[in-house]
Amino acid sequence: MEEKRTILIADDAEVNREILRLIFEEQFEILEAEDGEQTVRMLEDNHEEIVMLFLDLMMPGKTGLEVMEYMHKKGYINTIPVIMITGEATAETDVKAYEYGASDIIYKPFNPKVVMRRAINIMELFENRIDIETKLKERTEALVVAQKKLEKNNEFLVNALSSVVEFRSLESGEHIKRVKRFTRILMNYMMKYHPEYGLVKEQVDLIVNASALHDIGKITIPDSILLKPAKLTVSEFEEMKKHTTNGCEILEKFKQDESDFYRYCYDICRYHHERYDGNGYPDGLVGEEIPIWAQVVSIVDVYDALISKRVYKMAYAVDEAVRMIHDGECGVFSPKVMECFDLAKEDLFQTTEVASFVENNTDAF
Amino acid sequence: MSLMQELKGLGVDTDEGLQRMGGNSSLYERMLVKLKDMIKDSSARLDFDCNDHADIIEAAHAIKGASGNLMVTPVYEGYSEFVKLMRGQQTEEAKKVFEKMLPVQNAIIECIEKYS
Repeated sequence: MEEKRTILIADDAEVNREILRLIFEEQFEILEAEDGEQTVRMLEDNHEEIVMLFLDLMMPGKTGLEVMEYMHKKGYINTIPVIMITGEATAETDVKAYEYGASDIIYKPFNPKVVMRRAINIMELFENRIDIETKLKERTEALVVAQKKLEKNNEFLVNALSSVVEFRSLESGEHIKRVKRFTRILMNYMMKYHPEYGLVKEQVDLIVNASALHDIGKITIPDSILLKPAKLTVSEFEEMKKHTTNGCEILEKFKQDESDFYRYCYDICRYHHERYDGNGYPDGLVGEEIPIWAQVVSIVDVYDALISKRVYKMAYAVDEAVRMIHDGECGVFSPKVMECFDLAKEDLFQTTEVASFVENNTDAF
Repeated sequence: MSLMQELKGLGVDTDEGLQRMGGNSSLYERMLVKLKDMIKDSSARLDFDCNDHADIIEAAHAIKGASGNLMVTPVYEGYSEFVKLMRGQQTEEAKKVFEKMLPVQNAIIECIEKYS
């Protein structure tokens, strides 16, 4: 059997409470309070069952408005509709009652049929609103879960795609992981110390993911150049430089208009070899013409290349790598990026240590 | 004569009052007894010599609402005017209205007591 819902009638005049009880007792459980203090206690004890409060404006103990203040504090005003009962219709009282959150005002003497209809209308409206809010909350939660799943799937695909390039370069696939970790560290410092870029966490998540595709264009570079263990000739280097623009051509085939993720992928892929002084490639951009995410991936890529073993070189020690970057041996970076790189040095070093440990131990098996 | 007929003679709109009680005459009579008790219990609070204005207004306001709901029109109208004047700080005029209404209020009380 369906449980009866509860109406709380708060009025110091028993006659008024009795009339309201008479109107509603067939369909509802009735609670009665004869003063403001008792109303508050009954709300405290029964707020989950109460679907409507009839509240007299003038009561001993606490006035109707004071009871509503309490309901605001407790949040009950959002779930329990209040019909204010008042003996006098003044614009001031009406405005106050509505400001305090009353759903309706009924003037004494009241007509039972009118009270009944108005109360039921308000209860239905409130129930519909709460129902809609609950459904909206459930759908939002489901959407968040679905979005997280989609993000994970996307990340998996991006990682898989970028690993193809790395394996072709005879690397272990760890470079991509490290670039992502280093990018996150440095982006977090940029976000904290340079708010002028307006970076936010959600954006950083996308940038980190996009950083995995920075070398996607290397898939187009011939093995003879990509795997050459010696220094590249000028023409070979020119060919190698094309991995930035070739990567963009690949990405353009999957272009997503208005997508931030696509924009980050494109910018990072194209501009991660640009340098702050304009001596980079492919476009020779200068200063802040280079998107900040590309500037960050640029220094991170250089740092990781220096501390890693490659077909054409041995790994440098971390301190040596930092010195070389500072001395401009790998090109010029923005002062803001350099400042954050210095601040992040310790974090980068620790991440490098952990990454090396994992890599070495994985190799052992 | 019945309670309803006598009250009607004193200006109470018993038809409408009864209708408000869903046509349940015993319930209406019970409510009238409660109103009578309420008025009698409040008499001390309506004493100008012993109480401040706020207390008097509060007591009169409660009777006004209850009598209005039961369609005890002469009492409702008397207390409505009384409360209005009291709120406007017109104490002397309020006293006059109260004294003018008192005989009909007493007659209604006596009538209810006679039948209860």
